[in-house]
Amino acid sequence: MAGEDDKGKGAGRAGASGPKKLDRRDVLKGLSTVPALGLFGYAWQKQRQYQQARIEAAAAQPAAAADLQEINVAILGAGAQGQVLTDAMLRIPGLRFRAVCDVWTEYNQRRLVNQLKKFKHEINAYEDYREMLDKEKELDAVVIATPDFWHSPHAVDCLKAGKHVYCEKEMSNTLEGARAMVAAARETGKLLQIGHQRRSNPRYLHCYEKLLGEAKLLGRIVTISGQWNRAVAPDLGAPDRYTIPEARLKQYGFKDMHQFRNWRWYKGLGGGPIVDLGSHQIDIYTWFLGVNPSHVMASGGQLYYDPKTHEWYDTVMAVYDYDTPAGPVKAFYQTQTTNGSQGYFENFMGDQGTLLISESETYGAKLYRDTNAPAWDTWVQKGYVSAPKVQEMKEKDDAAVTDVRESVSPDEHKVSIVLRDPYHQPHLQNFFDAVRGKAKLNCPPEVGFESAVSVLKVNEAIEAKSRLSFGPEDFHV
Amino acid sequence: MVDGKLSSGPMVAITVLRVAIGWHFLYEGIAKLTSASWSAAGYLKQARGPFAGLFKWLAGEPNLLANADLITMWGLTLVGILLILGLFTRLASLGGIGFIVLFYLCNPPFVGYFYSIPAEGSYLIVNKNLVELCALVVVLVTGSGRFAGLDRIVHGLVGRRLARK
Repeated sequence: MAGEDDKGKGAGRAGASGPKKLDRRDVLKGLSTVPALGLFGYAWQKQRQYQQARIEAAAAQPAAAADLQEINVAILGAGAQGQVLTDAMLRIPGLRFRAVCDVWTEYNQRRLVNQLKKFKHEINAYEDYREMLDKEKELDAVVIATPDFWHSPHAVDCLKAGKHVYCEKEMSNTLEGARAMVAAARETGKLLQIGHQRRSNPRYLHCYEKLLGEAKLLGRIVTISGQWNRAVAPDLGAPDRYTIPEARLKQYGFKDMHQFRNWRWYKGLGGGPIVDLGSHQIDIYTWFLGVNPSHVMASGGQLYYDPKTHEWYDTVMAVYDYDTPAGPVKAFYQTQTTNGSQGYFENFMGDQGTLLISESETYGAKLYRDTNAPAWDTWVQKGYVSAPKVQEMKEKDDAAVTDVRESVSPDEHKVSIVLRDPYHQPHLQNFFDAVRGKAKLNCPPEVGFESAVSVLKVNEAIEAKSRLSFGPEDFHV
Repeated sequence: MVDGKLSSGPMVAITVLRVAIGWHFLYEGIAKLTSASWSAAGYLKQARGPFAGLFKWLAGEPNLLANADLITMWGLTLVGILLILGLFTRLASLGGIGFIVLFYLCNPPFVGYFYSIPAEGSYLIVNKNLVELCALVVVLVTGSGRFAGLDRIVHGLVGRRLARK
């Protein structure tokens, strides 16, 4: 190329050549970099093939290959949570996705349908779930991840149409709604799993069955504390071109697009952070203690956000009382939405030890053996907990004075169970195993109902500004 | 080198440089276009430095953000194709420089600012964005498309037509 140009036509002097005839050399040189585009196309094609192969490798086996009865699934609610559940379900063998239903046809519905098509599922898209139930006769199960106030009508209608249902928590934003769901499940004999996914998490199951049930490592649990601290987040928006027409918003119970996108903050639609976040963790309090709470008092408010667009409390602190067979327990729970530091965990304290557990891998599960407690050697040998990491003695500087009343720091043990799958996968797996008749639901509607009773009462207690009591009949359906 | 104009050896090197930059732009654009859910929001929210406020504000305005996303995806792709082909090279170089200026200002490696995502190298004032920007300035001022690129043909055709008039 260079040699050719050396003949001195001056073409290298870019822009210097005046009007001239376009000769063969000009054309060749003009086209000389076009092959680079072809090379790019080839490389890109290779890259796409690689990515597609990765997607296919990551997808769970179809039913035939996994020797399973195929389950036909629809997703009702294709928002953020529907996406999380779908990602987890794509890793579960033996599922055939048939339909996606979402009223936001302009965006969420389209996104999820496109994703599932990449995994070679033939998907029908619906705006109205009743139309879906009418047309999709072969559906076995519906996974519901719609706003809370839709859970009850959606779940009840799906159950009555003969489908098994996995429904996100909170079971419903009203107790009447939750009761109707329990009744529908009983009446139809179909399965209803509520999405308190920690109940299927191997780490939580290990702590519940082995550490608390068998080894009783904590001794007598006396106090619990837990929290979900979340950082400030701007309201969710949507570009104008994806805006849902007003008539459709109204038809589905939303006054405008802001409310549609931020329904969790609105009364009558969601339950606020105590329900969105707290319900997962308060459910664990009850599960681990084995009894429902007897009283709750709570304080909360709109301390940070504009109450006009954030009708629910952005900050809540609640204290539950439990009467367990072993004695009374006080359980504190806090959620705030102004600072995400220290995240979320549940902390159980007994006279022999402490269990700090979280769904998040940041904390995992840690146990602290109180120095007065019997040795845990047996449980270390059995692999229930790791060998202790002895708390290092603090370097004592001259100014520090040791107080004889100060307790000696306990040894720290770890639970080495790590969930490498998405958080919701084991719970969904449990649901589909139950559909195949191979498992019992880890969170049947009665359990979800009890949890809803405990959690919804917090909002009531904040309004009442007093300590409210639960009667045994409150938890009964 | 005569009269500040480059002989063909350096011009070949600059053409290779132009195609490489074009390739980079094109894949950055296409990767975003073919991703199901790409948005500049995450990048903008990580903004540091004196203009961080502006970028973060942009991330919080759904309509502007949607336009910014479209402009970025298609802009990078178009600039990439034009640079590879050597078509409208100066315009494409200017467009590319515009994009890189924005990327640079979004996370400038100025004294005292650090990027929260671990960077793969160590930068002070000059980072790879700025180097690519400087490389595009070279492409811009040398008009590499008229040496080897479709600009040569376009220029020739337009030149002939002008000469006929």
